[in-house]
Amino acid sequence: MIEFEGVSKSYNRGRIKAVDGLTLTIPPGEIFGFLGPNGAGKTTTIKLVVGLLRPDSGRILVEGIDVQKEPLRTKALTTYVPDTPAVYERLTGLEYLNFIGDVYGVPKADRLSRIERWLDIFELSSAVGSPIQSYSHGMKQKIVLTAALLPDPRVMVLDEPLVGLDPRSAHHLKELMRSHCDKGGTLFFSTHIMEVAEKLCDRIGIIDKGRLVACGTMDELKKLNAESSLEKIFLDLTDKS
Amino acid sequence: MKPFPALVRTGLRANFGLRAIAYRFFTEKKDRWLLPLFALAAVSLAPTLYAGIKLLAGLYGMLTPMNQQAALLTFALLTGQVLILLFGLYYVISAFYFSRDLEILIPLPLKPFQVMLSKFIVICVNEYVTVFLLVVPVLVTWGIKAGRGPDYWVAAVLVYLLLPVIPLAIVSLLVVALMRLVNVSRKKDALILIGSIILIAGSIALQSAVGRANAGGMSAQSAVAFFAAPDSILNRVGAFFPPSIWATKALAGGPGATGPAHLALFAGVSLALFLALIVLSEKLFYRGLVGIGETSARRRTLSSAEMSRRVSSGRRPFRALLAREWRIMNRTPIFLLNGVLVVVIIPVVMLLMVKTGGETEVFLVNFLSAANPAVVILGAAAFLTVSGSLNGTASSTFSREGGQFWMSKVIPVPPRDLVAAKLVHSYAISVLGVAVSTVALVAIFHLPAGQVAPAVGLALLAGMLLTIIGMLIDLARPLLDWTNPQKAIKQNLNVLFAMLAGIGFLIVTGWLAARLLKLGIGGPGVLLILAALLAVLSAAGAALLFRFARKRYAEIEV
Repeated sequence: MIEFEGVSKSYNRGRIKAVDGLTLTIPPGEIFGFLGPNGAGKTTTIKLVVGLLRPDSGRILVEGIDVQKEPLRTKALTTYVPDTPAVYERLTGLEYLNFIGDVYGVPKADRLSRIERWLDIFELSSAVGSPIQSYSHGMKQKIVLTAALLPDPRVMVLDEPLVGLDPRSAHHLKELMRSHCDKGGTLFFSTHIMEVAEKLCDRIGIIDKGRLVACGTMDELKKLNAESSLEKIFLDLTDKS
Repeated sequence: MKPFPALVRTGLRANFGLRAIAYRFFTEKKDRWLLPLFALAAVSLAPTLYAGIKLLAGLYGMLTPMNQQAALLTFALLTGQVLILLFGLYYVISAFYFSRDLEILIPLPLKPFQVMLSKFIVICVNEYVTVFLLVVPVLVTWGIKAGRGPDYWVAAVLVYLLLPVIPLAIVSLLVVALMRLVNVSRKKDALILIGSIILIAGSIALQSAVGRANAGGMSAQSAVAFFAAPDSILNRVGAFFPPSIWATKALAGGPGATGPAHLALFAGVSLALFLALIVLSEKLFYRGLVGIGETSARRRTLSSAEMSRRVSSGRRPFRALLAREWRIMNRTPIFLLNGVLVVVIIPVVMLLMVKTGGETEVFLVNFLSAANPAVVILGAAAFLTVSGSLNGTASSTFSREGGQFWMSKVIPVPPRDLVAAKLVHSYAISVLGVAVSTVALVAIFHLPAGQVAPAVGLALLAGMLLTIIGMLIDLARPLLDWTNPQKAIKQNLNVLFAMLAGIGFLIVTGWLAARLLKLGIGGPGVLLILAALLAVLSAAGAALLFRFARKRYAEIEV
């Protein structure tokens, strides 16, 4: 579960409000899709959850634990995939996965079975012994996803996770997102792909200029603009403000 | 604006980052505290510059009766050009073939020579800045002392502007041809390392050559004949790199025939090499770029047994973090060179300089056998400390993470472990430097064990303190937004600040030791006091570092 309680974050000494009084609860078992135009505050919100940024005010709870007050406990429950796969390019894929397994304390038996499973699904088995530097953009994205899945986290936070993935890998990722939440996990992710949000998410939030302008299930959102697609709703909401 | 000037302007902006600095200072209002520090550095440089100019004026006065005053110009111009030649190799390889902007520039509607030329100009401007303090004071002092007219000043400006062209064009021609012939761009790591080792080997070879030339010995008669011949020093010194003789004669030759003729020769050769570079680059530049940005790797699926063996059975986070530090450092050529290799190579170079310095070595050996043993131990400890600690490992340890710093922020590991791994890694490199230098020191000066052991002990304590200081500096303002790893360590102000702090520490410690010796405290007593002081300061520093890390890891936003 992720809870935002009146969270605000600004840049440039308060001149640019990136997130403005966000209050939102994402219960366990839910896939929550976060939509918004470029610069709306999606990545800032995500970075606040995983502790890369500090809120100016408000608080964020992960599984009921305050991210600011007990960061190590919330970090142990959360994994994160950034919008660009900036990873240790000088390590091999396996060295990187071992590093993540070590710092999250994943036991060897679990580690081996999960690594083999995800490498197989993402078709990375032949590349895992090579330096990440030699990977394509999509392969880097997949190794970061594999690392994020390795600790079998309670909460997954993904920033544009489908960018750069081939259709097969994107399909597998969507399946595993669903299965993660079916097992009681929480998944919070941002995307620009309306179809993905529409088909995959239990609930969708639309953020614009730092404010949550709409939030609900697809059916609830459709009530805002009858017979409209998510794309139309998105354009209407983000155009008005 | 036309494409080429726009390209050069963008290249200069990207290289010097003046807009980014202005944004940090004036819009984000970060790093403003650096401004008074820079002002202080500039003010403190003024007396040194004044003393240097006084020295130059004195040398001019000494050389004039022998008609050798032009040698002053040759020394400055030659040193400048050789520095440009050696560093140019490194800059040219990384700018022409390994800078990330090539991926943006190559698809643009620009000719290959334009792309290469824009990079050449950026390197030239870099070199003007690099050799400014070395060359310009000499040109100005010489012109004033010689009482020369406007012709000299015009020639001086032209010579300074043309100074980097010949050495850089030579290096560029070699590199462009090499890249085309060998097509080694896929092995770029190896290329950078080999280039850097050539640079260091070149420096050592030059040092040895100059040392031998100076220590070559000369009978009284031949010395008289040598100094009696006009400009003999100029010709002897300039023989290493003849363009420096042409440049000197262009300046010292006067407005008659000699000056303009040599200026024409200097400019003509510069222009010819420059044109050759344009022609060659148009034909070969892009061909050598094939495969850039890609690293080849053999792909092989691991068997189940292999996978089981290679999947770690679970190390403690500290050990995983330490392994990360070593692997990234050792596999990134720029980091390896400036961290690990520098502590191995620099001590050897310093001792070679002493060995080839002739009189310096005799003086040092005499001094070591006659001096107070405590002073010898302190001197040796200072050398070992410099060898082990004046590298950029500790002071770039956070900066080196760059765009990957987010991982250190999100993993469930306390800052204490993150910093402990960095401290152990940085200190291990410092210890390596002390070990190599100890071997070199004992091999060359045959210091007894009774003097070496306390010197090593002091250096290890001082090394810990300097490692902590370097880490504190880097933690206070880590440079994380680099795109070229060179910026994280070679162009990182934190490394400079830590080196200045290290020099300041050595001066203060030296002063303290001298005071204690003057007060009549015996040698062993002074050494013990210093050791205790260093141990206390290191312990306090470590405690401060761990506290500061807890605060900073929460504060640093990425």
